[in-house]
Formats: sequence, structure tokens, C-alpha cells
Amino acid sequence: MDALEAVAAALWPRRLSSAVPWLMLLPAVVLTGLLVLGLWEMADGSFRTLDTATFLPSDDYSFANYHRAFTEKLFVTVASRSLIGSLIVTAATLVLAFPYSYVMVRTRSAALRKFLLIALFLPFFIGQVVRAYGWLIILGSQGMVNEALGLVGVAPIRLLYNYPAVLFGLVQYMLPFAVLMLAPALTAIPEEMESAAGSLGANWVRTFVHVVLPMAKPGFIGAGLVVLTLSLTDFAIPAILGGGSQDFIANAIYDQFFRTSDQGMGATLALLLVAVGSIMVGVVFALFGAGTLAMGRKP
Amino acid sequence: MTTLMGTDAPFAVSVRGVNMVFDGVHAVRDATFDLEKGRFLTILGPSGSGKTTLLRMIAGFGKPTSGEVFINGLAVGSVPPHRRSIGMVFQKLALFPHMTAAENVAFPLRMRRFDARTIPDRVQRYLDLVKLGKLGDRRIHELSGGQQQRVAIARALVFEPDLLLLDEPLAALDRKLREEMQLEFRRIQRELDVTTINVTHDQREALVVSDEIIVMDHGRIQQKARPEATYRQPSNAFVANFIGVTNFIDGMVTAVDGDTIAFDRPGLAGRPGNGFRPLVGMAARGALRAEQIRIAGGREALGDVDTVFEGAVTDAIFEGERVVYEVTVPDLDGAALRVFDHDPVAHSQHEVGAAVAVGWNARDVLVFGD
Repeated sequence: MDALEAVAAALWPRRLSSAVPWLMLLPAVVLTGLLVLGLWEMADGSFRTLDTATFLPSDDYSFANYHRAFTEKLFVTVASRSLIGSLIVTAATLVLAFPYSYVMVRTRSAALRKFLLIALFLPFFIGQVVRAYGWLIILGSQGMVNEALGLVGVAPIRLLYNYPAVLFGLVQYMLPFAVLMLAPALTAIPEEMESAAGSLGANWVRTFVHVVLPMAKPGFIGAGLVVLTLSLTDFAIPAILGGGSQDFIANAIYDQFFRTSDQGMGATLALLLVAVGSIMVGVVFALFGAGTLAMGRKP
Repeated sequence: MTTLMGTDAPFAVSVRGVNMVFDGVHAVRDATFDLEKGRFLTILGPSGSGKTTLLRMIAGFGKPTSGEVFINGLAVGSVPPHRRSIGMVFQKLALFPHMTAAENVAFPLRMRRFDARTIPDRVQRYLDLVKLGKLGDRRIHELSGGQQQRVAIARALVFEPDLLLLDEPLAALDRKLREEMQLEFRRIQRELDVTTINVTHDQREALVVSDEIIVMDHGRIQQKARPEATYRQPSNAFVANFIGVTNFIDGMVTAVDGDTIAFDRPGLAGRPGNGFRPLVGMAARGALRAEQIRIAGGREALGDVDTVFEGAVTDAIFEGERVVYEVTVPDLDGAALRVFDHDPVAHSQHEVGAAVAVGWNARDVLVFGD
């Protein structure tokens, strides 16, 4: 042991020991840093237009791609579809996730809690693409739902390849994330708080509005941010459940990079997406403070 | 709504044959008692005795498996907590961290739809009552433990409830603060004349603050009496043991003469405890308080006592205002008696191993069935 310590002391003198925490931070910083390098490269590309004659990026810089992104109908439609969609998905997911996490946290039945937890984690093992495909099987024109409707004499309904189908699929995909973010926030609210509100004269609605909701705020904000950014940037569900007719921004970016090979336009859309996401997160932080996410030291 | 018959002036609280069973555990068994208006009752018992369960049923958190709770003569079995007029101070206080002290105190007034114009004045009055007049704007985490207690009391009382319930709110405080708050509870309760039920496992607190004490064990009410009576006439061996420091001497009844019961050991006698009807040959336990035993270096120095045994000091703990001895007495099957010696004047501490005499009067020995 002494020999080992001697070697360790030789390799890493004691006076450097205060640097250890920084050293441990390094891998994560490097990984994030590499991503920034990629973003820098994309920023450069976003100012070059595609030369349709040579299919090569132009040598000179211009704002042409950004101009197109804000004026061409296709991009505006896709952007507003993604933005509005992700807001609807976030609201719906939080509304559905709250009772789920509340029951999961508060139930006295260990069996029910286990069941809810397993039901929550199972979709994670399946993966997004397989899940979306599962919806095709269920909701397709020859799917289970339409077959069931056919039995009672209802003609097949087009349940897929429309906006509601995409939103539905996104909510279903986001629910576990939201529940997982809400549950710790609800666990942190002592049950005594709700009893106290009751004894002070609040019925369950007012207890919820005046006590549970404000105290669960960090959980709601955290869950909301995760769901908002994940659904805003989602690719698979709009692609599969939208069938090409309901593209989100990520799908448009994919098309630019891999279909039309317009690297510059793809980079422009990607950077705009990063900017919109960052602005939304920044606004939430500015409104509520990073402390509300239960980050940082307790006062 | 059912009313409790047979009384013109109903009790503030009446509990009738209340049982609580959950998950097969009989937490409260056949609890029955009445509490007059304006009285301060303490339910005292060890953890798991059912005292908190009983309190929560009175508050409306948990419906009795059987039996009925009456508040001001009205059965409240189907009344949810928020429709009962009960202020409660919780074990962990349950102050709302997202509100200031004043907002916490205003909360029950807003929930109970008091006239909004009167709320600020009333909140200030109750903050003054608990001596927090200037701290209303503070957040909860900016207040000390004692100040938080005071906010919780003000919040529980501000809507002038019929009944104040205290669920061991002082348990987490250090001793000095706890004793200060006990006196505060007493002062405020007397000032407002509000009927109060306090739950604690702290026997000293129960004796200090209460008009009446209920002692519970294993879900059963063991005794309901005034503090002095609880201490001096415990109804059974459990109560005698739980309150104060009590020595038990087991034996068999050899003779009964009026109020004097002789044991099967020469010179040992006592008087019957509450409700004990002794018969010769019955097994019996004599209960003797540690402070009712005198200790001296020899028989002669004990003075005027009618029972004397000789023994050896096996432990001596200096506690400042008193010395606690453990004396092993061979003539009592080697029983180790705990003895309090309050003698700050002639403080001559007996060393461990010293031969001593211990003595007491037979009337201080209470004899119970078992």
C-alpha cells in the first residue's frame, strides 16, 4: 500500500490534488466542446448557398439561406407546425403526467406503485421507431381500431398521417419523461402539507391550486422544458405517423442534408432550431430562475 | 346528523367506542372519553400507542373503523377535515414554504372565505399574539425553529377554531426551546380559552401543560386524570412505569389488612393501587417511585421510615441537582432499586460498592395486580 501511495504521489503530487475535481470535469467539457466545434462548422456553412450547377457550396458568404428560411412557405409552415405542436404536446403531457405521478408517489399500495413504474419504463425498452410502427399497426386503415369499428358497421376512418396523429404519438412518447421529472418534485412535498391545507379549510381543488401546484413548480418547469425541447426537435414520430405530410423541423433538416444535399440550408435550419430552443429555455430561466429547477444550493 | 344525547351542555369533544384497524393492526381500541370546553388535554404514550391515530381521527384524517367522534355534540364521522372547525399544529409544522409567515397565517382565512378586508388586521393580531408582530414578511426558511413554531400556532388559531390539536410539534426542538414553547402553548391556550388536545411522548410536557392527561398504551386508554392524580394515583403498572421513574417489586399477597397489603417478603407492604382488590395468594407488583426511597450509610441515619432494606451501591450517577443510585438488595432477590437522592446541603455521595441502607414508607408502595 505504501508503495502504491508512493507511486501515486510521484505521478500526482499532493499540491495538485485541488485540481482533481476540475480534471474529472474535463471529459464532459471536451465532449460538449467538440459539439461546439461542429456547430462552428455549421455556422460557416449556413452562410454559403448551394450552387445548383456544381452542387457545391458557394465560396462567398450571404444571408440568402436565412432569408429563405423566414420567407419560403414550406419552412414557415414546418416551423410553425413544430412550434405549435410542441407547445400543445407539452401542455397535454403535463396534464396527463401529473395525476400519473401523483398516484405513483402517494399510493399506499406497493403493488400499484410497481405496476405504474413498470408501465412507465416499458416504452423506454421498445424505442421510438418501434413504438411509432406499433401505432401504424393499431391505427392503420386496416388496423385494429378500424377493424373494431368495421364490426359495428363504421366505414374505415383515416386515423394516421395527419397532425393529430403526430401530436398523439408525441404525447404518448413524452409521457414517461414528464412523469419521471414530476415524481421527485411531488415526492419532495410532504403529505403533511396537504393534510395541513385540509385542516385549514382548503378542499382538494384549492389544496391543489394553492399548495401542491406552487410547491411542484420546479418539477413542472423541468418536465415542461424536457418535453418541449424533445418534441420540438423530434424526428421519428412526425416522419412515421405523419407519413411525410406532417414534417417537423428535424425532418426538414434531414431532407436538406440527405435529400437535396443543400448543406447550407440544412445548417441554417439546424442553427435556427438551436436558437429557438435556447431562447425558450432562456425565457423560462429568466421568468422562474434556474433555482426553481431545484438546481443550485438551497437557500 | 347524529347528536350525542343525554347532555344539555355538550362536551367540546366526545369520543365513543372508537376503534381503528388498518392492515390488521388494531391501532386504537375502544377509546371513550369526554373533554370539557376550554380544557387542555394531553394524550401521552410511547410511540405506537395509538395516540397520533386517535388525534388524526378527531381531526378527520382517517375514519374510525367503528365508534363515533362528537365535536360540540355533533357526530363528525362524515365531515371532511376542511369542513371541521379544527386548528392543527403538525409534527413537522407543515408551513407552506412558498408563502411568507403572514401569508401562511392568512391562508385559513382565505380558504374559509373570511371578509378580505378584515384579513390583514386579524393576521397581525395573531402574529402579535405569538410575539412575531414584526416578522410577518419573512419567508418560512428565514425564521428560526422557535419562530416557525409560533407561525404554525398562529395559523392554527387565526380562524378561531372550536378545537386546537397539537401533534407532537415540539418533539424536534432542543430541550430549552421545548420548555419555553410548552409554557407558550399554555399561555396562549389560557388567553384564548380554546379547547386543546396535545399529543406527546414527553411525560414532563404532559405534566406541565395539561389540565388532564390521557395515558395510552397498545391502542388502549390506560388512564384519564388530572396531572397530579396521574402521577400520584396511576391506575396500573404501565402508567406508574411510564410517568416518573418507578421501581417494581414482584411478589405474592400474604395478608390483607384494610388498606395494607403484606407481601411475601418480611417487612414489605403497600396499599392497593386504583381498583386493585387484593386476595391472599394473588400475584402482585409493588410500585415505588425513585424519589420516595431514602438512602443512607446505615439504618439509623434513614430516620423515620417503616420499611428498611440493606444493599450495595452498584451505580451512582451525578445529575447536578440530584444523584441517581442503583442499589442492589439481596433480600429482594437481588432487585436493583433506582433511588433519587436530592440532598444538595449534605452532599455525601455514596461510592459504587458501598454498603447502604434504603428505606421508604409502606403507603408509598402502590400494589397492582400485575
